[in-house]
Amino acid sequence: MTSVSAASTYLGIYRTMQLIRQTEEELARCHQRGLIHGACHTYVGEEAIASSVCAHLRKEDVVFSTHRGHGHALAKGLPPSELIAELFGRQTGCSRGRGGSMHLFSPEVGMMGTSGIVGPCVLQACGGGYSFKMKKIDNVAVAFFGDGAVNNGAFHEGLNMASIWKLPVLFICENNQFATEVPFAYAAGNPSVGSRGVAYGLPGLTVDGNDAIELSRVASEAVERARSGGGPTLIECMTYRTRAHAEGMGDFGYRTREDVDGWKQRCPIQRLRTNCVAEKLISAADFDAVDAEIKKLVDEARRLAEAGPFPDPATATQHAYSESPRSSTTPIQNVRPAATVREITMTQATHEALSEEMAKNPLIFVMGEGIGKRGGNFMTTAGLYNIYGPTRLCDTPICERGFVGLACGAGMTGTRPVIDFMFADFVLDSVGEIVNQIAKMQYMSSGRLKMPVLLRGCIGIGHSAATHHSGNYYAMYAQIPGLKVVVPSSAYDAKGLFKHALNSDDPVLFLEHREILSIKGPVPEGEYEIEFGRANVVRSGRDVTVVALARMVHLTLSVCDELEKSGISVEVIDPRTVLPLDIETILQSVKKTGRLLVVDEGFAPCGFAVDVAAQVADRGFNDLDAPIKRINGAFTPTPYSPPLEKAVVPQSDDILKAIRDLMNE
Amino acid sequence: MPFEITIPRLGWSMEEGTFVRWLKKAGDFIQAGEAVFELEGEKAAQDIEAVDSGILRIPANAPQPGTIVAVGAVIGFLVAEGEATPTVGSSNPSSAAVNQASLPKPIALEPKVVEPVSAPAAAPSVRRLAREMGIKLASLEGSGPAGRITADDVRTPISKRPLTTTASAAPAHAAGVASPRARRVAGELGIDWRRLQGTGRDGRVRERDVRQAASGPDSGTPATVVSVSSRRRTISNRMMASRDRTAPVTLTTRVDATNLVSLRNQFKQAGSGGTIPSYTDIVVKLTTLALQQHPMLAVRDEADKWVIPEMPDGLHIGLAVDTDDGLVVPVVHGAGALGLFDLAKRTLGLIEKSRTGRLTVAEMQGAVFTITNLGAFGIDGFTPIINVPETAVLGLGRIRREPVVIDDQIVARDQMTLSLTFDHRIVDGAPAARFLQTVSQAIENPSAWLLRGEG
Ligand SMILES: Cc1ncc(C[n+]2csc(CCOP(=O)(O)OP(=O)(O)O)c2C)c(N)n1
Ligand SMILES: [Mg+2]
Repeated sequence: MTSVSAASTYLGIYRTMQLIRQTEEELARCHQRGLIHGACHTYVGEEAIASSVCAHLRKEDVVFSTHRGHGHALAKGLPPSELIAELFGRQTGCSRGRGGSMHLFSPEVGMMGTSGIVGPCVLQACGGGYSFKMKKIDNVAVAFFGDGAVNNGAFHEGLNMASIWKLPVLFICENNQFATEVPFAYAAGNPSVGSRGVAYGLPGLTVDGNDAIELSRVASEAVERARSGGGPTLIECMTYRTRAHAEGMGDFGYRTREDVDGWKQRCPIQRLRTNCVAEKLISAADFDAVDAEIKKLVDEARRLAEAGPFPDPATATQHAYSESPRSSTTPIQNVRPAATVREITMTQATHEALSEEMAKNPLIFVMGEGIGKRGGNFMTTAGLYNIYGPTRLCDTPICERGFVGLACGAGMTGTRPVIDFMFADFVLDSVGEIVNQIAKMQYMSSGRLKMPVLLRGCIGIGHSAATHHSGNYYAMYAQIPGLKVVVPSSAYDAKGLFKHALNSDDPVLFLEHREILSIKGPVPEGEYEIEFGRANVVRSGRDVTVVALARMVHLTLSVCDELEKSGISVEVIDPRTVLPLDIETILQSVKKTGRLLVVDEGFAPCGFAVDVAAQVADRGFNDLDAPIKRINGAFTPTPYSPPLEKAVVPQSDDILKAIRDLMNE
Repeated sequence: MPFEITIPRLGWSMEEGTFVRWLKKAGDFIQAGEAVFELEGEKAAQDIEAVDSGILRIPANAPQPGTIVAVGAVIGFLVAEGEATPTVGSSNPSSAAVNQASLPKPIALEPKVVEPVSAPAAAPSVRRLAREMGIKLASLEGSGPAGRITADDVRTPISKRPLTTTASAAPAHAAGVASPRARRVAGELGIDWRRLQGTGRDGRVRERDVRQAASGPDSGTPATVVSVSSRRRTISNRMMASRDRTAPVTLTTRVDATNLVSLRNQFKQAGSGGTIPSYTDIVVKLTTLALQQHPMLAVRDEADKWVIPEMPDGLHIGLAVDTDDGLVVPVVHGAGALGLFDLAKRTLGLIEKSRTGRLTVAEMQGAVFTITNLGAFGIDGFTPIINVPETAVLGLGRIRREPVVIDDQIVARDQMTLSLTFDHRIVDGAPAARFLQTVSQAIENPSAWLLRGEG
């Protein structure tokens, strides 16, 4: 580096550090005055790390951060007024008042979010790196995280994935020696984070996190390596926070005033200034000018923030789901055309949907175990590897949390992951990523990030799969705002809904009942999509409405003819999507029949049938001529032995009897 | 400009804390970062650091050590050299000073306006409670949304209840529970559902009860409610089942019963103290012969299959018998294989048992065809109801001597009307008519048919 360019780099880093320091101190004052409504973790003492790393990033590079993320956001280019306004809960805040300190989003400048959860940023940065690899561009992704994150599974899974796929990612560990009040020396069997790189086959080093010059050098190298295809780097930055873990918290129960004072003396800002003045790289006057400029900037930012309006409470639920207009030109065809000749299985139907869409959209990629050459455990991707290769049909290590977290980061950075997890049971390891990250991302970012992630896999009881291969989890996911939950019962529906999912910007759980995967059904040759939230009237009738999903639709249909003979005419409704739920079609049917039975293979408590029943009891009360009945799977893990298994799943006789009973009410 | 020293929030949810003491004296110069006072929050006492620098000024009305202070309250100032000390706002410093006024109010949810309903609205459980307590819902005022009567309204102690609701009020003779839909439809049709007898579980009034009442005569006038025996309930259910599950068509024809009458007279004259076959017995026997020629009329519709009985052994014939308790249909098992006299003996026994209520379940099951005779009441033709799961039922009218034209001569003959109801789902009109023709021929020449035996 020439001394001129070095000087300008260091002055830039100094400026960023000062901006962070002064903004944090202003925020501390505001917190004390009650202007900040929630938590506030400041970055005071650690400014060199964000400032030096981000000095080597471009606007298109992306940063994923933690709960202590004000510094990362400012260093990546977030204007301080938007940061302060966000903590004040204002509409002018960077997350429009939906996030606060731990959910700061500014994708416009590559700030992909701070996080209230320790760990996921590591995986999301891998996702960012994966997107860049997919798009063949030389951007890099950076994860900043504390020492508290390195003993979490996300760290292990993320570093391993980044290593095997050579992702352009920097893992920056800010080792400030405590996780809240727990010393890192206590929490780590191997107290050197830098040395862990070796374990994953990637370069790992430890640097003085308060030495901006050294950090800048190391970061510059790592960024260069990532950009040029050399893969990830792990950098452990030894540092110390000189304020309490969060504003308002006591600080001297676990460390001494002397320790803190000692580290205050090692202030990274003063250190850079002293060094540069001593080396005659930058004059004291230049530094003073920066200090004054920043003071003005922060004062003005605070004033602006306080002048900003609060968000309109009527918009509180806005951005839970994407509002982007439909971009697909495939025709919507919610009802199957009567004259459909060709018959294929449900698996063939989704395979067809996937290959049609992959051919059209180069941003779609599939991840899962054995979905590459092997073509998927259930043949969900058979033959696609040979066409699209290993990046778009990516076999994963067995790290469900890891690759689901990666998918989140990929979705945030513009690619469209399809996660094929075989059995829905397996993905429970990644529920935190689904519920806390994927589902909430659009909301937290006030709709500026999209989350086009399709998560597919099998549910359902049968063939002695026993309890780790048979869960029905649709009700659980349907309680989470931000997700969409599809549970198809026919090949026709599966294809249309799958294509719709691939063209939507919301995260979709596509849950396929394993016992009906190979049932053939009519599917037209042409392309079509089926909208979410549109129930299918599978059979129309007069006397009883039966609402059922997946395999239960087939069971219900199997008793309808017999009932018809004894004069009971059954209307069967398949909502197809549990979330959103088409309650209007169900209400309309009950208006006609006056009777409702919900057949639900899932568990009863707080479940799908409960919800349908409650909504009908509420809105269709005056149409009911009998109490609402529900049939649920037994409330127990799924047994193995066939007679036991049969005893926990609703049978056609149960449905028959329930309908007869309902007629006698 | 003076800096305010305020009470910070320690931890997530602290709203107030205890001001323990000042750590500096008024007039001291304080550097940002120095501890100025001690505050006790939810967990522990903490030294609070100044976030600004200046000379400490403590107003006269600042909180005393040990007092409770609200988060956000101003307790002192840091001023520059020579700067005046502002006074703490007129309000007590311990009252909350966080400026909540600028926070927008949450949107108030407008209560939905619900149309009043004529019948008092109440949940089924509340109706049941009222019934159990002998309280008329109509006499209560609902306190629930849209005037809906709540359980509490029903439970209010008698002393506090409106006079008309005292427990001594005669319990309504009406049923207590109606489905919401039934109540809605009753409202629409202007029917008082409380007067209706419900056919649902535990007597719940259902939509069909209301609609039936609407189509029935004068549903408005007070009526006596008849208690329903379980026999009646069974009959009612079976009749409804027949209506719901069959496509009935009734054919009628007149037959010449002269030979039938004379045959019976011969039996009577020849009688040796044994059972003399009745007209019905003879017709039962003749019908089994006709059924052997038209087996589709003997089909039983069993769930998912139509079953033709074994001939003649499986030809079990049901006989409609009127009893004090209502209609019963004992079954003459193997009627097709029995001789006429054995058959007569068997029916006599069954009728006897029917009237004394001693029929076993087995004796009421398995019929493939039913015969009902209303001749004794002077009835000619009628529309019998198919006894499901059978396919057809034959109704016998009275036998009456009437003038008829035979070979251009008016002669007196015994005439009878036959009414055959069959299920058009299973057989068509023509084959049913042919069967009736066969039965007619047999009745017109009973001796020949009986002697010839199997159809
Ligand atoms: C998964 C998860 N567990 C626990 C917490 C609560 N928590 C918030 S910050 C924190 C300590 C984190 O320590 P570290 O990662 O070292 O970051 P630092 O605060 O030191 O910057 C904990 C445990 C959390 N946010 N997420
Ligand atoms: Mg830490």
